[in-house]
Amino acid sequence: MAKPIRRRGESMILRYLVLGTWALVCLLPILWFLSIGFRPRTEVITPQPIYWPTFSLDAWRLLMSDWPIALYLRNSVIAVAGSVVIDLVLAIPAAYALSRYDFKGREDIGFYILSTRMMAPAIVAVPIFFLFKTLGLLDSVWALMLIYAAINLSLVTWIIRSYMLDIPKELEDAARTDGAGDLRILWEIIIPACLPGIITAAVIAAIFAINEFLFTLLIASTSRAYTMSVALANFTGGSDGIIYNAIALVSFIAFVPILILVILIQKHLSRGLTMGAVKG
Amino acid sequence: MTTVAPGRSGGVAKATPKLRRRSPRLRKAFPYLLLTPAMLYLLAITLYPGLFAIYQSLFVVKFLSWTWTGTGNYSAILQDREFWAALGNTAIIGAISLSLQTAIALTIAYFAYRDPFIRGWRIVYLMPMLFMPSAVAFIWKLAFNDGRVISDILMTLGVVERNVDWLGNIWLARMTLIVADVWQWTPFLFIIFVAGLQSQDQEIEEAARLDGASWPAIFWNISLPMMRPIIVVAVTLRGIDITTMFTNVYVMTQGTPGGATETMSYFIYRQGFRMFNFGYASAASVLMLILTVVIAQTVVKRAFHSGKS
Repeated sequence: MAKPIRRRGESMILRYLVLGTWALVCLLPILWFLSIGFRPRTEVITPQPIYWPTFSLDAWRLLMSDWPIALYLRNSVIAVAGSVVIDLVLAIPAAYALSRYDFKGREDIGFYILSTRMMAPAIVAVPIFFLFKTLGLLDSVWALMLIYAAINLSLVTWIIRSYMLDIPKELEDAARTDGAGDLRILWEIIIPACLPGIITAAVIAAIFAINEFLFTLLIASTSRAYTMSVALANFTGGSDGIIYNAIALVSFIAFVPILILVILIQKHLSRGLTMGAVKG
Repeated sequence: MTTVAPGRSGGVAKATPKLRRRSPRLRKAFPYLLLTPAMLYLLAITLYPGLFAIYQSLFVVKFLSWTWTGTGNYSAILQDREFWAALGNTAIIGAISLSLQTAIALTIAYFAYRDPFIRGWRIVYLMPMLFMPSAVAFIWKLAFNDGRVISDILMTLGVVERNVDWLGNIWLARMTLIVADVWQWTPFLFIIFVAGLQSQDQEIEEAARLDGASWPAIFWNISLPMMRPIIVVAVTLRGIDITTMFTNVYVMTQGTPGGATETMSYFIYRQGFRMFNFGYASAASVLMLILTVVIAQTVVKRAFHSGKS
């Protein structure tokens, strides 16, 4: 952690002007959107924007009565949590191989895994749509779970790999001398030693899964499999137009847990976001 | 980076009778076995769709009937002005947005990284990134178009005289997408830049400072060059995500006006799922895939090699 020091030759006024301005740029839209979530619908779209609306729980009531929000929340949680579990089960052995063994093709396999992260969802959207249609998986939470897991697998593998590379070889050697096999070493030494990395990977994968939009839109075409994200997009309400105050409220309901998760892994965030390439 | 080669690191293997009991062939296959499940999964979602897209791109697909057309879709697409426009829009919007984000993130990182309140700044600056992208798209749709808030603020400030029709002009419409992207994703770069600046060897900066160098000079001539690999990795990752921009287009502009905001992803989506030209959409997917592979093999591979610390 850098020691805060006063910088000569740099005006404090300029510094706080810049930092303060950007803080306002970040916060004002959020505050304004929060105010949308707690105003009556009649005050959302008006000839003259209303900045100090009447407080109202209209949106909340709408969510609770007209909207199976519990179902959407449950769908989101099942799909996201399930996908993270799949990712960890597949990624931990793969990361172990990539970080602790020397074998032919290691670099190429590692890069192939990384490169799947670069594929635009739109490229595979049509084939995946047909695949799930054939399998009869359209409109199911399971399909979403499989897709989210696929999207994040490269990320999770590379983050965990990066943390495994940091574990000193001596730790492993000592266990090996005691006669421990490779899998036992993985389970009893490597995994506990890189637990922060595993948690970071899980949190970041969960955030990306919650945010995923295109596949969710294509696969969940009826409300049976809606997650929060798509339900939100479909809250354009048909004849009612876009129900902004409900959208705003939903987005805050999703924002709070994500903020908490991110604060918990704050120290590891930059490393996780760069798939392990930058050690902050 | 050190890697462990079990069995080959002599002294270790000798001491472990258990290792010798396993056949050498199994030892050699072991890392591949560990990788197999993940590889199968990834191949299933990349190789299979890739092959499927190539196959489907050779047909004209209308609902359930597939008619062979060979390279017909490709020759049509290469003459399709909408396709080239989508490619151009993706490049223009992406380049402007990425440059702005990088410049802003570097500026605020420069001012923030040694500030006593850096933890506070970091959480505030992080927030936009933590909203669901679809929600953010709605925030801006309301602010620009439906709620006319931005116009109202600009009118109060005297910048414009009446309501701006943000979707009525090519550049204004593109700008709304850029604003939304910059607002949400500048934090991504900021977080990484600050981490990079903080992890630097402070003694070099201190030495330069004692020699009388000013802070901007130190930042520009010492900190920035030292951070280069980190900047390259972060900007590359962000650049990849920008080229796949979809959500904001879908919610905010739907490609209007006149296709000026249609990105590649939205083009494929529209051809496939709005017009049901699945063969045509697949051909576009294949072309975009080729482009992705080329970029991945050149830019990204190099970025990640130089980024490894």
